[in-house]
Amino acid sequence: MTSALLFKEWKKTKWFAIGAFAVGLALLTYIFLKLGRSFRMVGLEHLWDVIVNRDQFLFRDVKYFPLATGFCLALAQFVPEMIQKRIKLSLHLPLSNRKIVFSMLGFGLLALLSIFVLHLIVILTFSVFYFPMEIIESMVYTLLPWYVAGLTAYAFTSWICLEPTWKRRIFNALLMFASLQLCFLSDFPAAYSLVVSVVLLIPLYVLPFGYFSVQRFKVGIQD
Amino acid sequence: MQQAIVECKNLTHYYGKRCIYENLNFEIPQGRILGLLGKNGTGKTTTINILNGYLKPRSGECLMFGESSANLSSETKRKVGLLIEGHIQYSFMNISEIEKFYSAFYPKWRKDAYYELMKLLKIDPKQKISRMSCGQRSQVALGLILAQDPELLILDDFSMGLDPGYRMLFVDYLSEYAKAENKTVFVTSHIIQDMERLIDDCLIMDYGRIVMQKPVTDLLESFKRFKFNCENPEAINEISDIYNPVTIKGNTEVYSLLAKEDLESLMRKNNVMTNEIQEESLSLEEAFIGLTGKY
Repeated sequence: MTSALLFKEWKKTKWFAIGAFAVGLALLTYIFLKLGRSFRMVGLEHLWDVIVNRDQFLFRDVKYFPLATGFCLALAQFVPEMIQKRIKLSLHLPLSNRKIVFSMLGFGLLALLSIFVLHLIVILTFSVFYFPMEIIESMVYTLLPWYVAGLTAYAFTSWICLEPTWKRRIFNALLMFASLQLCFLSDFPAAYSLVVSVVLLIPLYVLPFGYFSVQRFKVGIQD
Repeated sequence: MQQAIVECKNLTHYYGKRCIYENLNFEIPQGRILGLLGKNGTGKTTTINILNGYLKPRSGECLMFGESSANLSSETKRKVGLLIEGHIQYSFMNISEIEKFYSAFYPKWRKDAYYELMKLLKIDPKQKISRMSCGQRSQVALGLILAQDPELLILDDFSMGLDPGYRMLFVDYLSEYAKAENKTVFVTSHIIQDMERLIDDCLIMDYGRIVMQKPVTDLLESFKRFKFNCENPEAINEISDIYNPVTIKGNTEVYSLLAKEDLESLMRKNNVMTNEIQEESLSLEEAFIGLTGKY
């Protein structure tokens, strides 16, 4: 039964997930080509100076990609459920409501993590050929908050979609903007090295709230 | 007395300050088809939503298979086939995907029942539900419910958006299935002709109240229209047991559960001057209008 639920989620989000992964790869290809051009034009010494002495981050173009992916995946997954209150069909399935909602959210989280992990693998595989371990470590700490922002955007957007009233949706959206700010406080390389685990808690904390909004829908709360 | 599959006890619901109904009570015994009839906005969908646990009533409770509808167990949900108003289904799936999807949840799944109905549609199994007409979607939704083989079917406004052909196909299929398999059905529709061919019992609602709850055959045997010419029609409005009197150019029309003789004596007692009263039998639709009025 759980695999049937996951199949339904896959049917809804398949083209978006494949598209997001492809766009991400295209973005990385663009960044690699740009870097390759810089290697050739200005030389590796200059690039080293830019990274180490001027604290510039070479993958800055990735910054908003996870955010957009998380936001759009939640829309692709939950807007079809809320149009014509189609979620009633899901809630009528012979499973507990908790299992139904958390399977849907779990699927989204897993899909997003898969896209993000594959992207990070591509970035890191490229980087280990050109940069020492210290710089790669700094890169990971710089990139992680941006990817966590993607997970946070997913958790909040799914909560907003599942919420039955506009007043609360607007409140949730304001909370989302405030929480996302925490992931974009600084572009300075490895600025988040000490707090990245705390930032990581934000999406995990917000994700279950979607279930409470479904419970509000269940008792008939509406505008 | 057969066991009640659905019991609604003292249901009261308001949207804000607007009363939908107060102290609504009804039961659906096993194997009966109950039709909930009412004009738009009288609370048909509200009742379905409360029954399925998608709305908490202001007071009162609904039981399905003895379980509170607010917290149905998976086992009880499995016994209930639900058709949502507008034949809503997962429109991003095609007809074979949706069949596979639902079959995973229902151990008694009857694939053949679903595909028998799909054959009538003459469409490609790979066609997405979103690209189907409303009539085709209604057949997919019905096919899925029949394949689920539930003990109780709840159908909210099944005739919505359907042309006469599809409406008739839906009614014929459903009625044959329900009678052959002794299924319990709770159905709402605003097209009363369809209901007459389908339901055993009717529950007729008007704004804020139930006006009639009877087996359809009893209603049609006892509820009649009476026509006569009347000199003082305003006096009729004072008489109880008469529904929706209308007088146009001296021709008066009333509806009542009384026998013709009883009505005549009631008129005389209330000094209503009439010529000979003509009695007419009614269709369910006419009885519905007689009970709830044209407006």
